[in-house]
Amino acid sequence: MELRYFIIRRILLLIPTLIGLTLLTFILVRALPTSLLLSQYVNPHSTLPRSVQIAHAKALLGLNYPVPVQYFFYLSALFHGEWGFMVSNFYTGPVLTGIEEFFPNTLQLTIFAVILSIIISIPLGTYIGSRPNSVADHAGRIFSLAVYAMPAFVLALVLQIVLGRGAITGNPLGVFPISGTFNYALVPFPVPSWLTSPNTSALVSHPTHLIIFDALIHHNYAIAYSGLLHIVLPVITLTLGILAGIVRFLRAGMMDNMRQEYVKTARAKGVPENVIIKRHIRKNALIPTVTVLGLLFASLLGGVVLIEDVFDYPGMGLLGINAITSYSIYGVMGVTLVFGLVLVFANLIVDVVYAFLDPRIRY
Amino acid sequence: MITEEQTKKEEIQPVVKVSNLVTQFFTYKGIVKALDGVSFEIRPGEILGLVGESGCGKSVTATSIMDLIPDPPGRIISGEIYIDGFNTLADLNRQAKIIIKSETNVKVKRNKRYIKRHNFIMSHIRGNKISMIFQEPSLSMNPVMRIGDQIMEAILLHSKIEIADSIIRRETMTDEDIRKFYEDAVKTKTHLDLRGFVHKWSQDYGVAEAEDGIIEIIERNDQNAIQELKNIVAEQKTNIKLKYIQLEREYERYNNLLFDLNLQLMEAESKNDSLKINELREQIKRTQAYIRSKFSGYRLIKRFIGKRIEEPFRREARRRALELLKLVNIAGPDRVINSYPHELSGGMLQRSMIAMALSSNPKILIADEPTTALDVTTQAQILDIMKDLNRVTKTSILFITHDLAVIAEMCHRVAVMYAGNIVEEAPVKEIFKNPKHPYTVGLLKAIPRPDVKVNKFEKLESIKGSVPNLINPPSGCRFNPRCPFKMDICEREKPKLVDIGGGHKVACFLFENADGSRKEVE
Amino acid sequence: MAEVEAFKIRRKEEKKRSARMEDFLFTLKLIFHNRIAFAGLVITLAYFIIAIIDYADPRWLGVSNLSDALAFLHGKAYYPSATLVTPPTLAHGWYYWLGTTEYGIPILPDMLAALKVDLTLSVEIVLSGALIGLILGTVSAYYGGLIDEAMMRITDIFFSIPALILALAIAFIIGLTFTNIALAFIIVWWPIYARLGRSLTLSIKNMNFIEAANAAGSSSARNIFYHVIPGVLSPLFVQFSLDIGTVVQLFAALEFLGVVPVDPFLPELGRMMVWGETYLIYGKWWAVIIPAIFLMIFTISVSLLGDGLRDVLDPRQRR
Repeated sequence: MELRYFIIRRILLLIPTLIGLTLLTFILVRALPTSLLLSQYVNPHSTLPRSVQIAHAKALLGLNYPVPVQYFFYLSALFHGEWGFMVSNFYTGPVLTGIEEFFPNTLQLTIFAVILSIIISIPLGTYIGSRPNSVADHAGRIFSLAVYAMPAFVLALVLQIVLGRGAITGNPLGVFPISGTFNYALVPFPVPSWLTSPNTSALVSHPTHLIIFDALIHHNYAIAYSGLLHIVLPVITLTLGILAGIVRFLRAGMMDNMRQEYVKTARAKGVPENVIIKRHIRKNALIPTVTVLGLLFASLLGGVVLIEDVFDYPGMGLLGINAITSYSIYGVMGVTLVFGLVLVFANLIVDVVYAFLDPRIRY
Repeated sequence: MITEEQTKKEEIQPVVKVSNLVTQFFTYKGIVKALDGVSFEIRPGEILGLVGESGCGKSVTATSIMDLIPDPPGRIISGEIYIDGFNTLADLNRQAKIIIKSETNVKVKRNKRYIKRHNFIMSHIRGNKISMIFQEPSLSMNPVMRIGDQIMEAILLHSKIEIADSIIRRETMTDEDIRKFYEDAVKTKTHLDLRGFVHKWSQDYGVAEAEDGIIEIIERNDQNAIQELKNIVAEQKTNIKLKYIQLEREYERYNNLLFDLNLQLMEAESKNDSLKINELREQIKRTQAYIRSKFSGYRLIKRFIGKRIEEPFRREARRRALELLKLVNIAGPDRVINSYPHELSGGMLQRSMIAMALSSNPKILIADEPTTALDVTTQAQILDIMKDLNRVTKTSILFITHDLAVIAEMCHRVAVMYAGNIVEEAPVKEIFKNPKHPYTVGLLKAIPRPDVKVNKFEKLESIKGSVPNLINPPSGCRFNPRCPFKMDICEREKPKLVDIGGGHKVACFLFENADGSRKEVE
Repeated sequence: MAEVEAFKIRRKEEKKRSARMEDFLFTLKLIFHNRIAFAGLVITLAYFIIAIIDYADPRWLGVSNLSDALAFLHGKAYYPSATLVTPPTLAHGWYYWLGTTEYGIPILPDMLAALKVDLTLSVEIVLSGALIGLILGTVSAYYGGLIDEAMMRITDIFFSIPALILALAIAFIIGLTFTNIALAFIIVWWPIYARLGRSLTLSIKNMNFIEAANAAGSSSARNIFYHVIPGVLSPLFVQFSLDIGTVVQLFAALEFLGVVPVDPFLPELGRMMVWGETYLIYGKWWAVIIPAIFLMIFTISVSLLGDGLRDVLDPRQRR
């Protein structure tokens, strides 16, 4: 009952955040010198004089209006799916289509990483946190610190060398492919229609754009298996990146809660130690851990850009980097906006979980 | 059937007996000698007050009895604590070796095996034979669990066998049983007798939810009463697989057996009875092996359908929790049982704490300043509840407070603590009328008393000086730097607690000789 | 009479000062007691000392840029394959102990020289971010009301985009150069400190001593500077120590992505790793792994120090 009201209120609070988010991207676009913005619309081979072309472009972009009005034009364009056009080696076409084609891959990586890290980190953090200053504690801390301190791309490179196929010849551990979404050699000839995309050099599958699921839908199990193998290394790298953070906070939370009065009460009731840890302390320790999950997710999204670059995995990160290197302002802003939206909704989920865990928050 | 002799014996044996308890905290600043040989005992049905300034070791005493001293930094160094006749500190020396190199450099080598066993034993004693309520009720309840769940947890920990028994009886009840019960019930003379009889029966047979209905039917006493009774009982029956209930009961029983064996082993070890030790160890091993072989399958099943097995237990535990909440006079127990701690006031929480502490009829309840954090009217109510409980259930209470007025109101006997020592112990009237120890005298003078007329401009007398630093306590009697009657011997030797007649004990050289014998003065 | 009063006040002040001194010494003692934090402190200090030495006289550390390196290689100790990445060797002096990276630049002195750039950069970024955030956060929380609400909404917006991506987007707008990226990082970083400063201020604001100061007629500005900011500083310092490592990492990541122009004349850990990556596939691991480990040790020791400080400064941990 109360939880439902909390969720509704939280969803209403999304509106100002979303307005702020679009405002930020709008300001960024407008911060670009107007001449730079217009230069893309000027065709040097056209018969029209340059000044006329610029005037046309200005009218087209609504630059003649006052800035607040321009913001509303920007918003309406966003709502109508007019996110601009980008040209790059990696992808050429409308930005929104590009996002639609590559976003599922990024989402797939992050979701797998989040689930895996939660599954591993909660038991690990509980175990370590309930035995402060033991050997396991020190080992766990050093491991998590080492992973936290290693730059994500170096971790990815190391994993590529140690577990990647073909990185070192004759490496018995090298079983996982190190780049791409699946093995292109498995593509049947002629290329089936569900595997082609008019916009990009990479093969993009339909209808979900996730190679594993699409291959399963079209009964091509070899490609599905290959796709599964290809996400192993990126997912491991991403998982290790946030795993350490969760373990760290859970450990701190466990240690903090262990000193609380209610633990004393539970002991005085005669609750066995392992039950105290699982039922009483861990549930309380998870509350502060969940609050940092939002921040960790933000760092995960940052990490995914790097990981996609290292593993050549066609996702939002690769799209964004290519947009930057080919100076495509709309591509950059589109990617930024989408990452922002993902984070905003992730934070919404985090808050709901938080309210679910902590009855005090949902007054 | 309790014979005269047995009752006498029980009266002699104290519920809790503490002797020479020494607890220390090893901090970076030095060793805090928090308790320095504390001895006292609590008799059945008695309320003992423990009073003293803050920081004198009252709470440390209580937590030491419960064995809840946070380790590190604290440890019980030596002493004996008999709870219900059994020394819980018998294996103290085996648990850890303490190597003191200097004040700030102390190494504690813990023996995990013995600590684990000790914890196992204590978890059967705590909450079962001895319960505790704490100072800050709002901090002492788990903030993310409902009050009901927290009380039920305590109930399920210690009374599973009873609950299982009543469920089994209910499910296997025949029409013949009901008829027999009806005939017995009709025979009772008064309404009150009937209530008592039905209450006990419905408790035993797990149909307490229908208790009021049963009483109504029996009081009507008409033709189809038995049929109605059968219906109402049948309604209470649920289609539970008795197999699991029985298994759960067996499992619990073997665990209790293991606990008993471990207790005996601990006792044998403290007596160095090697023959018995070996025998008991063998027996424990066999029991453990048996539990493993018989219940491993069940425990696996419980992982998957544990909720379904627990359900009937939880239902009964919930009913008991409600009953407990009613016992402590809580307003709207149905609402409270579903509330979270932050939704309740301090007084309500403290009542729930008491309900939780009473869930398994403990022999003794330790109350560590239970009313300090509450406002005055609530304080009085809580004190009344505790007093009533003591009268009705004969639970002994160790009442810790710094408030002498509360002591006068509540307790039968009082022990006065100063800097980790008990300096005086006497029946409550005696201590107020005839305090002996200079510290007690000072303490009593510091209370404002409306009946004694004093000059408005005169200050209340207070004891000069302040509480000593327990890292470097004064030598000899720890009160000597503040004592108006200080003698040479006070700095050299520590006075013992001696009886000066009428159960009045005092630790002061004004009343005893250096060898601890009583001084004949005045 | 007045003299006696003054004397009394002086005595009180002295006592307060000595208590503070004692507190400080006790903190130090606790850090020494916590061996892991102490190790963190020592290593962090060592890194900073190297950077400072480099500022004083770069010759003490050998090479500090490419032209120096080449001159060094051809002038003093001839090394045959100056354009190749070569394995660690002991034969040609300490410069080569960790091998060489592209153009035959010895890794060890290059790494040491890189500290100057990297540490300066990260301290600059985090310090300015922290200062802006601290002032905005404490002031808005102290005055509360509309200012506070506006400040929170603004930080909300910044928090709704992942830091790395926002920094990239901002840097893209203002031009992808070395300094602009640093500027972008400052813009991304200050909200963290604003939030932290705000929450700490809120908890301090309601404490008794602020009320007492108000009652004594102390002005708001005075309150903020004499009471709020000192109370906020120590937790902020913990966050500061944790962030210093992160910034170097993020910077290296941007260089790795190829969005920052790599300046071959600037010794920098990120650049070294980017160069090294090319050789990784040929089994020449040291060119990338060694700078990475060097950076890792710094991040680990800084966060160990931060953890230790948090433990030590937390009054509940002081027993």
